[in-house]
Amino acid sequence: MTAPITWSFTLFRAAPAVALAVLVGPAVAHKDPVTPQLLNSYQQVFMEQVRKGDLLFHGDAATEEAMGVVLSKTGMACAMCHPMTADTHPATFPKFQAQMAKFATLRDMINWCIEKPNQGEKIADDSEAMKALEAYIYWSQSGTVLNPGKF
Amino acid sequence: MSELERDRHEIAAVLQQPGVRPDPSLRITRRTFVHKSCLVGAATVAETFAWWPLLNTLDVAYAAEAPFKFAWISDTHLYPKSLNTRFVEKTVRAAKEVQAMSPPADFLIFGGDLAQLGKVEELELGVEILKEINIRKVFIPGEHDWYLDMGKKWGELFGQPNWTFDHKGVRFVGLDTVSRGPDYWTAKKMSPEERMGHMATLDGTVAGPWAGVGRDQLDWLQKTLSNWDQNRPVVIFSHNPLYEYYPPWNFWVRDWREVNEVLKPYTKVTNIHGHTHQVLYNEIGTMRSIGMLATSWPWPYAPEGVPKLTKPMIRVDPGDHFDGVGWAKIDVNAQDKVEAEYVMWRKQVFAQSPDDYAKSIPEVLRARIADNIWPY
Ligand SMILES: [Fe+2]
Ligand SMILES: [Fe+2]
Repeated sequence: MTAPITWSFTLFRAAPAVALAVLVGPAVAHKDPVTPQLLNSYQQVFMEQVRKGDLLFHGDAATEEAMGVVLSKTGMACAMCHPMTADTHPATFPKFQAQMAKFATLRDMINWCIEKPNQGEKIADDSEAMKALEAYIYWSQSGTVLNPGKF
Repeated sequence: MSELERDRHEIAAVLQQPGVRPDPSLRITRRTFVHKSCLVGAATVAETFAWWPLLNTLDVAYAAEAPFKFAWISDTHLYPKSLNTRFVEKTVRAAKEVQAMSPPADFLIFGGDLAQLGKVEELELGVEILKEINIRKVFIPGEHDWYLDMGKKWGELFGQPNWTFDHKGVRFVGLDTVSRGPDYWTAKKMSPEERMGHMATLDGTVAGPWAGVGRDQLDWLQKTLSNWDQNRPVVIFSHNPLYEYYPPWNFWVRDWREVNEVLKPYTKVTNIHGHTHQVLYNEIGTMRSIGMLATSWPWPYAPEGVPKLTKPMIRVDPGDHFDGVGWAKIDVNAQDKVEAEYVMWRKQVFAQSPDDYAKSIPEVLRARIADNIWPY
């Protein structure tokens, strides 16, 4: 990662565009060098998902309604058992999940929690709400070491 | 070094000085046994609840005048009946079991968070359910009881939030650690419901470090203890733990240093607290501290700060709402011992192997963002 950035930066300063194309070749043929603005916009897309996921995870009724999901009918929200996503262990998925007695993904587990403890309505695997919840949980656990399969 | 780490170093420096411990005559033993009452009638109960609990005890030597026992229930977090019957069911069960204690407990201490959102309806439901218990009942408030109407209804139902009484040679003190939260609502023109909502979110960023004893109550505590022999037992009930475990979830009181100053001269202090919804044991200076189970749901252990002296509770089955929760019996017997006995429904209380302990899988956690309203 560091190497190509340094390279193209040096080339930009030192050489005309032709030389750059010849020397770096395919690396820049597919896309322009990333700019802080671009990175920022990607990050914004991500953080907006994190924010929505955070709200869903904490039982925000308005967000649930806006996204057309019913994640709980007991008054319970994910964060009531998992403050700051503690004990969700996203880094251990996929794994054999005892409660479901099957090999499961984080999404399976999210749906299990929605249906069982929360008594809410299961959401589609590729739904916006699922992606947002997943984004929040992973973001919240940034830096946790991957340990797939761990009980 | 983070602020939290700095605080922890300070705790160690202030409290864990060499040689300073609770009275050495108070030796702690832990034992696990199958309680007689579980063997009797196990077949019928097993059919209904698959009940095969192992009760666990912490024994604390004490000098009581006569043997007695009392019971602890807390953190029932009642919603209106129509919304959540599970919490109601479990509160009913705890109440029935306390009432069935034989010989009966001398009194029940309710350790706060009776309601979930502080509603009149919720608090009254709690009173109604606890009517099942006809021994003396004393109450301290939890944050969930307080911040809808700032303790108005709670006060009408239960009176003064802090109190003291002597019972068979033990001085009991109830503290209010919840009502002195910093005002985060006025500047933001929050409705009572919004105020309560932030307070009811354990990992929220808005309510801040609300748990505290307060200078006025510390003075009251000092006065209350001033005529008590420093070598006689004191039991202090508080909703929050009286030491620093994990401030972001208010698993502490912010003025724990001052509390320690007041309690320092007393050699037999036991603090029994709720709020953390988990098995906890700690010794801070000359005080020992025992965390109680909720009846409603268990909180996970915090990512850091779990006291080294805590034998962790077992990982809970989230599919079983009777797991990881319960109440407690505290026994003061003729052999001068106080036993705090966790009555956890279902499984064993303590982790049996590292795999049983959720914290054996490392997690790096960050605070939530969606509720940020302050400009820092
Ligand atoms: Fe609680
Ligand atoms: Fe609480």
